[in-house]
Amino acid sequence: MIFAATAAFFGAFFLFPIWNTVREAFVDGDGNFTLGFVGAIFRNPIYLEGLVNAFKMGLFSTLASLLIALPLALVANRYRFPGKDVLTSLLLVPMILPPFVGALGVRQFLGQMGVLNTLLIDLGLMNPDKPFDWMGDGQLFGVVLMNALHLYPIAYLNISAALANLDPAMEEAAENLGCHGLRRLWRVTFPLIMPGVFAGSTIIFIWSFTELGVPLIFDYSRVTSVQIFDGIKELSGNPLPYALVVVMLVTTVLLYIVSKALFGRESYAGSGRASTGRTLETAKPLAGLCYTVMFVATIGVAILPHVGVILLSMAGDWYGTLLPSEFTAQHYIDALGHPLTVHSIANSLKYASFSTLFDIVLGIAIAWVVVRTKLPGRNLLDALAMLPLAVPGLVLAFGYFALAQEGQPFHPLILGEDPVVILVIAYAVRRLPYVVRSAAAGYQQTNVSLEEAAQNLGSTPFRALKRVTLPLIAANLIAGGLLAFSFAMLEVSDSLILAEQAQHFPITKAIYALVSSLGNGHYLASALGVWAMAFLAVTIVGAGLILGQKLGALFRV
Amino acid sequence: MVSIRIRGLTKRFGETVALKGLDLDIAAGELFFLLGPSGCGKTTLLRAIAGFHLPEEGTIQFDDEDVTQVPPHKRETAMMFQSYALWPHLNVFRNVAFGLEERKVPKNEIKTRVAEALDMVKMGDYAQRKINQLSGGQQQRVALARALVVRPRCLMLDEPLSNLDAKLRIEMRTEIRRICKEFGLTAIYVTHDQKEALSIADRMAILDDGHIVQIGPPEEVYRHPHTPTVASFIGETNFIPGKISEIGKEGVCTIDSAAGTFTGTPGNPDWRPEVGEKVILSIRPECFSISSEKPMQNAVAGQLAESVYLGEIAHYALRTDSDPKTIHIAELNPRRVVRDEGQTLHATADPHDIVVLPAT
Repeated sequence: MIFAATAAFFGAFFLFPIWNTVREAFVDGDGNFTLGFVGAIFRNPIYLEGLVNAFKMGLFSTLASLLIALPLALVANRYRFPGKDVLTSLLLVPMILPPFVGALGVRQFLGQMGVLNTLLIDLGLMNPDKPFDWMGDGQLFGVVLMNALHLYPIAYLNISAALANLDPAMEEAAENLGCHGLRRLWRVTFPLIMPGVFAGSTIIFIWSFTELGVPLIFDYSRVTSVQIFDGIKELSGNPLPYALVVVMLVTTVLLYIVSKALFGRESYAGSGRASTGRTLETAKPLAGLCYTVMFVATIGVAILPHVGVILLSMAGDWYGTLLPSEFTAQHYIDALGHPLTVHSIANSLKYASFSTLFDIVLGIAIAWVVVRTKLPGRNLLDALAMLPLAVPGLVLAFGYFALAQEGQPFHPLILGEDPVVILVIAYAVRRLPYVVRSAAAGYQQTNVSLEEAAQNLGSTPFRALKRVTLPLIAANLIAGGLLAFSFAMLEVSDSLILAEQAQHFPITKAIYALVSSLGNGHYLASALGVWAMAFLAVTIVGAGLILGQKLGALFRV
Repeated sequence: MVSIRIRGLTKRFGETVALKGLDLDIAAGELFFLLGPSGCGKTTLLRAIAGFHLPEEGTIQFDDEDVTQVPPHKRETAMMFQSYALWPHLNVFRNVAFGLEERKVPKNEIKTRVAEALDMVKMGDYAQRKINQLSGGQQQRVALARALVVRPRCLMLDEPLSNLDAKLRIEMRTEIRRICKEFGLTAIYVTHDQKEALSIADRMAILDDGHIVQIGPPEEVYRHPHTPTVASFIGETNFIPGKISEIGKEGVCTIDSAAGTFTGTPGNPDWRPEVGEKVILSIRPECFSISSEKPMQNAVAGQLAESVYLGEIAHYALRTDSDPKTIHIAELNPRRVVRDEGQTLHATADPHDIVVLPAT
């Protein structure tokens, strides 16, 4: 029963929107199959450029994330150094800071009249008449930087996990045979952790390949995600946006399959049982200091955009100076008085809470089917529940949007003008994997005989679940729910695409609207962003406290 | 092939002291065993010799060279890990060739030497296999080939057979001895399996709590243990507490115990017990023979509590009045099995088989 219900839900709200999009892309007005629309994409130089840029955006963001994370993970895996515990947890903070908001800050730092240029001019290193444009042509650099600073914690978690799974004897055997230092790293450690690292990189690539918020804030329009977003405005009768979405979907799914095929089967790390535990070396004082500085610097740079946002939100005026020339709380007051912002906070809270509740109920049910039953097809259900991690949010959002048009099946879900139902469903589907993962982990750790004992004493299976198992896995559920909630609060693609009326805007769309508006829009957007970050920080710290080290396991496909 | 000389070796992990000022000499070409209960420091000692642990105090010498501070990759030892630590991203050939590549051996020579090494462990046909396509026993052979091919100054084996089934273990341990002797290798072998040690060791050291409690060839350690710990760790034994009543020539002692009077010799020839000193007698089950009449000397009387017939051997347990623990007896080639429980039997042992140990 549960199985049928969850499967039906997935069919309707996950597979159907995707299927519909795919169909629209391949079927012409007369109902015949055609490759014409997809072909048109590849003949159109603007769309083609968008794809190439999206690919660059994904690839460079992934590489940059790995590059930032690798030395940190290697050091943390091997040495003890001052402040390590605090620093390794702080390292994860940028992941939860919305890049979309941070982008506002990066503009402030790297813009032509931004802080960096001002600093260089003050130091006499730059000609004030010809400020250098750091964002470069088309701002790709800024977008990649922002993505990498946002996503490197995922790379860090993955590399750390791969290193932790590595039998230290593998490295010792190399050492013993005369292979040392960098050579050992290159010949033994890297090849062994690569499968794990690549598996994790897939998510980074998919996320950055389809990133919508950051390029929007940077006005970087020649990229597929933004082109799809723009295409929505003229959706009726135009199949090209559909085709564009399909191209994006196929690319990510292909990548997912390829990475699974290449690295899924060969999990080296777990082979053989480890003969020795890894003993952490205490770094020599000078080296230890270097490591501490390395961590602090990375964290510092990564949160710089958000520091920028905070400063911006308090700035009376900030143009061509190092720090804002005056500080004011006016923007917060204005923000609270602005109809858009007040509504948006209430809306986001509403959407996020409902979708989280929904996720928890679904997550308990799905995880129960997957872990506790032997139903045929439960593995399929498990795979389905994880898929939203691999399918770009943009694709789903677009699918919902197309189906919510007049005369389409989902249109009744838009109550009058209010997108609350469709948004809650959209949020819920996208965040479901986190909750299912956490709940499944909880079930696995809880011995089934505890439930059986309750049944043996007369509880119905349902009551046994409620009275025994659920209290035991509550911590997992809370952690998964917190993650789902905080990510929903700062969801970009569904929010931008599905919320059309100002009074129904969630926070992210309100920020986007404020940024595009004139006057003090920037400052108001920053103030709103700071509010959002405060929400997030509280929830993530909560999740981290509950889940501890296991937090990393949530970000693997 | 080097001799190894260890002096005053101390290794601490935080508060715990794993090795406590340990001295040890291993001769060149010797197959030397480190044994002891878990946590005794045997693996720590092995890893210190390989260079994975730097000791806080003491020195390690290979021949005349002090290697105490030499990093592992320059010690030219070769270790066979308990988990084998074969790299799954490289095939059998590349795994074995790894050490030679690190030593910048020419390509052609690598080929012939790897082939030789694989032939030696009878894995010549598997050179192109992936590691996870091999069985446990095959992996074990490859790990041995990988260690041998570099012609190490010293071969280290860290419980190399613990992941194999019983039959393969017996086969491989003779293999290992054959190969070590063929190359005249100095080899240090860590195990907690006493049969492994007794069957192939030249000499063995028993460790307990970071100290070496006894060193010697297998038969000496088995027949003349110095302490009750060693006696019970190597093989099975019966302990009978008593007090020395008389000391004869060549250290032969007469001991009074609750079970009767015994004659035996101290396990440690350097130990000179005194008359009246409390001691413990160690008598191995197979040293007893049983009879229904009371023998002249060295006898324990008791009621048969259990008898197990295994074909080539029969095990008996006797319940005595003096000790809550039963006396275990093993009779080789039993012609007639005593099965009547409760029947009174006498177990007797030859004075040469009775070991006198200090009571601790």
